[in-house]
Parts: sequence; structure tokens; C-alpha cells
Amino acid sequence: MNFKMDEKIISKEDLLKICQDVIAKGHTLLTPGMNEYFPVKDISQINLNSSALPAKTSYKSYVFPRSEPVLYYKRSKDDVQLIDVNVDGKNIIILGAKPCDTNSISIMRHLFNWDYSDEFFNLREKHFIIIGLMCSHYDEYCFCTSVGSSPVSDKGSDIFLIPLDENNFALRIITEKGKEFIEPYAEYLKPGDETRSKQVTENVKLPEVVFDSKEVYEWLGENFESPKWEGIGNLCLSCAQCAFVCPVCHCFDIVDEDYSYSEGRRMKNWDGCQFGNFTLHASGHNPRDIQSKRYRQRVNHKFRYYVDKFGEILCTGCGRCSRGCPVSIDIKEIVSNCKESV
Amino acid sequence: MEELREYAKELLEKKEVAAVIGYTQVSENRTKPIIITDPADASKLVFNEYCLNNLSVYLTKARINAMCRTKDKIMKLAICAKPCDVHSIVALIQENQVHRNDIVIISFNCHGAVKDFGYEFSGENLASKCITCETHKPLYFDKIFGEEKETPKASDAALARIEELESMTHEERFEYFNNEFDKCIKCYACRAVCPLCYCQRCITDKAIPRWIESSSHQRGNFSWNIVRAFHLSARCTGCGECDRACPMDIPLSLINRRMAMEAKKSFSYVSGRSLETPTLVGSFNEKDSDELFM
Amino acid sequence: MNNIYMPHLAEIKEVIDESPDTRTFRLKFKDSDTAERFDFKAGQFAEYSAFGDGESTFCIASSPTRKDFLECSFKVYGKVTQALHRLNKGDTIGIRGPYGNWFPLDELKGKNLLFIAGGIGIAPVRCVIDNVLDMRNEFKDLTIICGARSVSDLIYKQEIKEWKARTDIKTIITVDPGGENASWDGEVGFVPAVIEKTAPPSDNTAVILCGPPVMIKFTMPVLTKLGFKDEDVYTTLENRMKCGLGKCGRCNIGNVYVCKDGPVFTYAQIKRLPQEF
Repeated sequence: MNFKMDEKIISKEDLLKICQDVIAKGHTLLTPGMNEYFPVKDISQINLNSSALPAKTSYKSYVFPRSEPVLYYKRSKDDVQLIDVNVDGKNIIILGAKPCDTNSISIMRHLFNWDYSDEFFNLREKHFIIIGLMCSHYDEYCFCTSVGSSPVSDKGSDIFLIPLDENNFALRIITEKGKEFIEPYAEYLKPGDETRSKQVTENVKLPEVVFDSKEVYEWLGENFESPKWEGIGNLCLSCAQCAFVCPVCHCFDIVDEDYSYSEGRRMKNWDGCQFGNFTLHASGHNPRDIQSKRYRQRVNHKFRYYVDKFGEILCTGCGRCSRGCPVSIDIKEIVSNCKESV
Repeated sequence: MEELREYAKELLEKKEVAAVIGYTQVSENRTKPIIITDPADASKLVFNEYCLNNLSVYLTKARINAMCRTKDKIMKLAICAKPCDVHSIVALIQENQVHRNDIVIISFNCHGAVKDFGYEFSGENLASKCITCETHKPLYFDKIFGEEKETPKASDAALARIEELESMTHEERFEYFNNEFDKCIKCYACRAVCPLCYCQRCITDKAIPRWIESSSHQRGNFSWNIVRAFHLSARCTGCGECDRACPMDIPLSLINRRMAMEAKKSFSYVSGRSLETPTLVGSFNEKDSDELFM
Repeated sequence: MNNIYMPHLAEIKEVIDESPDTRTFRLKFKDSDTAERFDFKAGQFAEYSAFGDGESTFCIASSPTRKDFLECSFKVYGKVTQALHRLNKGDTIGIRGPYGNWFPLDELKGKNLLFIAGGIGIAPVRCVIDNVLDMRNEFKDLTIICGARSVSDLIYKQEIKEWKARTDIKTIITVDPGGENASWDGEVGFVPAVIEKTAPPSDNTAVILCGPPVMIKFTMPVLTKLGFKDEDVYTTLENRMKCGLGKCGRCNIGNVYVCKDGPVFTYAQIKRLPQEF
């Protein structure tokens, strides 16, 4: 099989056969449902629908679990024993990942690897195979095009699918990992037709670009003390819905949990910057003591600090945080209107 | 709508209130909360079937109350409240968190609100609390707007679900809730939107000792959700905001509604209905049934 | 797996009660390899575990030049420091580190040094003082100004005694007005006022300043008035930390992570940061 041509055609039926085989081999196959990416038990659960909205949560928890032990300890009267944990390096194949989810891992990778490498993240990520699916639908909260992505972007995917018609997909092999994955299934792949797939992608309606991220970056630098933050702070109720459904929010807490006096474990748990406790010192002092400062941190972290540190925006434009916000705070609206007066 | 805006504008202009907490339209089938302090912004107010939020959650926020205190005057807060939201306000007054004289309740004749934003108002898209709602007119208000209309007909899936749960064995029910709570990611959106979760320091924030594990594993999740249900029993007014806020779609109000049924059955008490009655958990009556004692 | 959250185990060799609420642990790594490899510089911090209660962040209080043991001092504030306070000689704690940056002693060679410390802030300063004393002839005049709320709150009494006994350091100790007792022979007054009275000339002098935020706030104008340049004043910031590795996301001030870019900053750097600490 010659892999020089990186685009193939695969029928839905054959794609499902691959899925069947993946499941039979004992790998985890995730696919998006309404609420979450779920492990497929039966291929009838697979719905490769490019016009679905992003699931309420991303597959972040499979690479950065909401709660995981980082060590176990055993205590006796005069000694402590530490037991390391092993991260389960099971292959996870994500089928039908939205383009707004596919590059989440590569954005988070910077953080988990600058200077110190977090192997909990790395070992899981290593076993990910991401099969992205072009997206053909957006709602009022989507803004991937404003943060440098697009519904037809294959960035972050190992393999990218473009629906050509009801029964056929163009299959683009993007990475070496993707190539290795698909090679055993070469029999299912038919020669690609780039003109056809190009026609499809060119006809996708793109969400309007509503802000220029460079301008937002500049604005944030000059408006740390803007009265805007206070207005948002008054409305925001300080939950962490936005952070926890975000595909790239990565802040965490480390806490010990005793089972008994003699045994326990240390957990790494998701944490949210909107919680008042997040930055609270034991002394009672809190650098981000009011909600407006916490919301300012959230926006700055995404559109300025992360750019300063790693050159990328900490946002994929999926709109989940806004879609789910109990008080309808819309980050897209905030950053796109940042320059307007209060 | 115009009357509402005029009224709000007047309240602000006369400096009777420091702010009007209300709703504003975002898009066709969606509104969001807005806090208005400038009379010119009163034109942004709306009231319709898409006003889902229970705004009384803002009444206990220190930063909102701080707006009411200026150098020379202490002003009131005006709040737009659906009749069911008024129940929450009543509960807050009963529990001495809000003073009746400190607020101006702007209410409406209500015929239901949508279940989900983004879809048109209809029997299929009717919030579950509206299906069994008997309070289409607010019990308390300072000003009322809107005309009386019929609520669209719908079946109460939640009630059917409670009945179904009732018919389960203890173990099955435990299993059901354990599975539901297992989804919890501990974002505490349920706590944040709840008007009655006003504790300055929630039990989950206490680290010494740590009563509730902060990890979102089964044990931590179960203890959080059960403790919250207990803290809200005979207090929850059934506004359903927790259900709506939960990003994991845990049917939180089922358990709260079940607790409310118990309060009604055993003590004929419904939370947030009368300013004259003391709260159930805050009062003792020697005639109270002993049945609930274990 | 290389687990960056895995601490090294250390035994508490000695417990020194510095004041009613502050303790110093003298620690020795259980593993001799770790003890050998654990290399740090003055100003760096570590994460100390009380297993069952979690980790807490504080500086390493002993000098890197004194390798037989490691010391840390902590004031009882929250869950973890309470738990640490319950531990005794012979008990085991966990240490992760060293993390963060350090005081650039190499660059300061040939200068006069003025050490200013308040309260528990003396811990990082002490680490630098001991380090400097172990290479005393590399530096010119040394002055220590150290303050505490009261005589009983004054920590490192033993060390202070030793510093005072030396003729090659000028040591000034002060307690806040009302904090003195009958036998107190030091200064009485707040740190900024004492500095104004006793500070050495600012020429060729670097300042190492650690203490509670309120003390730093009132000390800085005095130092400026005395002619010290912002670039010559080194201080440490403390923000809540969990990981110490630049990942958990809570210690940042703007795009600066205190755990990675700090905890040591010059006053000039601090002035450029957003005021959120």
C-alpha cells in the first residue's frame, strides 16, 4: 500500500468494521454523544454526525481525569511508605472528535511539559488516536474561527474524516500515529479524490470571525483595571461549570484522602479559578478575593497569559462554557465587545 | 413590557432602588440576567417565557447588597421574579437572609417558562416545574405585570420518575442515585445557582476537618449530593435551577422534590409559601409527628 | 514512571519550638542518595507533606552550604501546618523540591548587604544570611534588621544570639511597640521606623527583604527615601501553591508564576506586575 497520497475514501460500513475490530481488540473507542464522549460498547451507538453541536463535555477527562491518585501512602507509628501509581496506558481511539476538540490536547501539552513533565498526562496522551470529523453546524456560541481554528481544520487529528455523501468519507491521514493505526485496515481504503473533499470543505458555512485575538491580547494588557470586570463579576455566581466543561482548562488541586489512620492516597483533582477558595491563603489573605478579579483571571489566562507563555490561545472556541453557563455569561461576547465602553 | 421598563426606570430615577435585577433578551429564544443601575438601561429589561433564571440568588450576594449603601442613603433592590421565584424570596425572608422592606418585588402573571433555551416555548419545551405549578399569580409582590394566560399542557415526567423510584427497592434506588451522582464533576454549579445555598462558607469549603471529600469520585460525590439534599429538605422551593445548571444532567431536583413531598405529608409544610409561618426546620411544634424519628 | 508529585521521605531529627505558634524542623532525608543529590540555592522553596493532610509550601530555611540537614520553619495557620505541628521527633514527612528561583548571591558579591526580616519572613532571610556567612569575605558590610510583633513572637533566638556575638555583622532586633518585656534590650518600634534610624548607606548595598505584605508596603517608601534603588531590593512573594511545578494554576500574578519565575523578585520587577497579590 502506498501512503504517499494522504487522502483516501472509506465507506461508512467499512469504517464501522474498523470500529468493530478496535472494540474487539479491547481498545477503548470514544465517540461524542449529546452530553459526553462515551466508550462505545456496540457499533450501533456510533453516530458520525457532522452537524451535531459539541457534546456538553470534551474528552479531556480521559487524558486529565477529574480526580486521580498520584500516590498511595501507608503509615505506621514510626514510618511512612509511599507507593507509586501506574497509569493505565490503554489505547483510546476517539472517533468523530470535533475540530474544536482535536487540538485541545496539543494546547494542554505545553503546560504539562514545560520544565517538569507530568507523565500522568503524557502516558495517556501517547495512547490517544484522534479521528477528527469535519463539523458542518454552528450555533450562536461557536467561535472556533476567531481563535485560529475552523470547522474543517484537521489540526490535532491523527486522522481526519470529511463526509462526502451519506455513505462515504474522505479519510485524511495526518500523522505518523494515524498512519500506523490505519495501515492494518488498508483493504478498506479506496483511492481518494481531493477535488471532492475540497468541494465539501469549501462549502461549509463558517462561523463569523467575531474578534481578532491579537487585539484582545492588547486590550487585556491595557485594561487590567477596566470597570468591565466588575460588571461581569456581579453576575457570575462563582461555579466552575465553565472550567470543567472546557476542553483546555487544566488547573488542579492536590489533596490527601485517608482511608484510615494507616492508609490513604494523594489525589489530583480538577479545580476552578472561579472558586473563591482557589487562591485563598491559609492566613486568610486572598489575592483574587472578589469575583471580578477571578473572572479577569479566567479571560486573561486564556487570551493573554497562555499566549505569553506558550504562544497559543488557551481556548478552542467550542463555546461550551457559554452554552452551559447558568447565568448566560458569554465569553465570546465579552472578548469581542471588549473595546466597547461599559 | 413597556410598563415594566417605565416602572423600573422610575424606581431608579427616584433613587428608590439601587439596582434592578432583571432579564434581558440575548437572542430570540434566550434571555440572561442583567443588573441595571442606570435608568437609561431600563429599556433593556424584558419579561417573557424565556426568563428561566431564578434571580433571587443575587439577593444574598454581598457585592449586590453593597450597591444599596451609598454615603447618604440606603436604597432598596428591585428584583424581577416569576411567581415561583417569589417562593424563593419568601424562603429567604423567612430565614432572615433578606428583609421584606429592603426589596421591591416586581412580579408577573406567569404561564410557564421554557425547559431549554434555544427552543420555542411549547408544551414539549416546558420546564418541569411549570407542569405541576399552581402559582400562576405571585403570592407576594409590589408590582405586577403581564396578563393571565393558560399554561400549555404537558405530562409530568419528573413525577412519573419519582413514582417509579418509589416503587424500587431500597437497593435499587441507592444504585440509581449512586450512578447519577457518579457523573458529578463537582463544579458546584448546583450550589451556585441555588437561592437557598447562601452559606457564606459551604461545608465543602471546610478543610479542618474535611467533612466532604473534594474529589469527584463516587464517595465524594455521594456525600456532597446527599448532604446538599439534606440541607435543602423542607427548604427547597422547587425552582429547578440546580437541574438546569448541572452540566452533567444529574436530576438533582428529583431528590429535592421527594424531600419536599415528605415535608408536606408529615408536616403539611411547603417551603416559601407564607411570610407568616416560621420555617419548618427552624421551629418546634409539640404536635409534630414523630414518625420521622429513627 | 517519573512521578513529579512523588515526594522524598525525610525524618524529623529535631523539633525546635521557636515561638508559641512557630516551629522549626531539622530534617534528614531517609535515602542517602537523595540527601546527596538534593541541591538547592538560598531562596528556593519546597513542598512539605504531612501525609493524610496534604502539602504546604515554604522556603528552605537552612543554608545550602550546610548539607548535613535541611531545616524548615512554619507558622501554624491551616490544615497542613496544623498537622505538621502535631508531628514529633522521629516522625516522617515528605519533601518535594527544591523549586523556584533564588537570591542571586553570585551577582551580589563585593556588595554590602542589608537584611530586613519581619515575622516568619526571617526564615528565607536566615537561609541567605547563613549562606553569606559561610563565604563571609566575598561580601562587604552586613547589616541585619529583624522585627517581630513581640518578644515571644521573635523566632530564631539562638541564631540571633550568634549573629549578635559576631563583630563582622551589625544586628538590630526590634519588636513592635507594646511587644517588649522587662528584660528586652533591643529596639522598640516598627521595622520601617527602625530602618530609617539604623540603615547603612545605600551606596553599593543590596537589600534582602522578607516579611508580611503590610511590612513590605511600608518599608519600600522608606528604602526609596534612603536612596536604595528598586533593582537592588530583593524580596519574595508568597502565593498559594499546590504543585510548585507551574501547572496547578493558582500562584500566577499576571503571566508570572510565583512557583517558577519566583519566589524571589526585585522590587523593580514587582512594580511591573499587575497588582494582584
